[in-house]
Amino acid sequence: MHIVDGALSNQVVIAGAVAAIAGVGYGLRALPLEKIPAAGVLAASFFVASLIYVPIGPSSVHLILNGLAGVILGWAAFPALFVGLVLQSVFFGFGGLTVLGINTFNIAMPAVLAGLLVRPFLARATPRTAAILGGFAGGLAIALTTLFVALSLALSGDAFIPAAKLVLISHVPVIVIEAVLTGSAVYLAKQVMPELFTSFKQAPI
Amino acid sequence: MRAGLLTLCLMCAAAPAIAHRVILSVFASGDQIEGELGFSNGTIAAGTLVEVFDPEGAKLGEAITDAEGFFVYEPRQPITHVFRANLGQGHVAEVTMPVVDLPRHLASDGAILAPSPAGAMAESTIQRPVTSPDLEDLIASIVHDEVRLLRREVAAYREKNDLQSILGGIGYIVGLFGVGFYLAARRKLKDLGQ
Repeated sequence: MHIVDGALSNQVVIAGAVAAIAGVGYGLRALPLEKIPAAGVLAASFFVASLIYVPIGPSSVHLILNGLAGVILGWAAFPALFVGLVLQSVFFGFGGLTVLGINTFNIAMPAVLAGLLVRPFLARATPRTAAILGGFAGGLAIALTTLFVALSLALSGDAFIPAAKLVLISHVPVIVIEAVLTGSAVYLAKQVMPELFTSFKQAPI
Repeated sequence: MRAGLLTLCLMCAAAPAIAHRVILSVFASGDQIEGELGFSNGTIAAGTLVEVFDPEGAKLGEAITDAEGFFVYEPRQPITHVFRANLGQGHVAEVTMPVVDLPRHLASDGAILAPSPAGAMAESTIQRPVTSPDLEDLIASIVHDEVRLLRREVAAYREKNDLQSILGGIGYIVGLFGVGFYLAARRKLKDLGQ
């Protein structure tokens, strides 16, 4: 899921960097004071999730956990996931510093989209409905991420359809696992911390 | 039976893993350059094309990895070699081999080690231990096998993500968001004060 240095053409890398800067900038403005700790926790879970491997045949893929960030943070998922990606590339060598922008965009944008899609319904949903919505968002975020990755490879010269198929098929187990994980996380959060899903601005101080 | 299954698994390993680091290492072995290609999680890249370029980007040649992810390339020019492999899905590896690391006969630009008559005379006077080419080859192949094992272990060690780096990363995240929280809180307090 992390594209490495040198795999993409310069135009794609630059476009990704610009999109990521815009996303992080907008995300920082959308991050209220009260959600900064939540953003930190989600960045940390994203950082560690990449070390959890799901074996598929002789190969393996790892968890990404971007959907949860999108569901809870909305646009603020951009800076949180960006921080996680920087540290992953520095500590684990996943991805690389020059492709940080495009990787951020490929992972954070689907999270934001999935989050925006379900967030309006989450505030008033029962925990069970919220879990289903969260699971949907978690799976959707991964599916979109695979699509974005395939697209950025296609723009750099790889054939799109086979690349997209390969990435998507190998990620089906991850989609399922992340849907379950995100669903359960949302269920738990809805029970113990329902204010995570409401806008803090409306809450009484 | 088990060995057969293992080979089968290894054959299937052609489908590359996602988001692991690609490892491409090259080293001189006799007159040739030997290399190993695989993923950081141990998956082997078999039957993959490795292209060789000079520093300017002109293609010098190519090699195909065998079932164990090894490939052999015979260098012909004493220049820096750039090895590049593309395993699809954004997995690209590139490694540069400077002239000094090339096989001996090229590394020295063919000047120092070439048996010049004067050098041969000097060597014979200090009674160098008798070595036949066969013996040299034998030693080279033994050393090579031993070093190959070591290289594998070093590569595996380098890929190990221990608890320290995980905790270190989490520490950075806590610190960064702490600073962010501090700045945001200070701004808010300032706004309230006015």
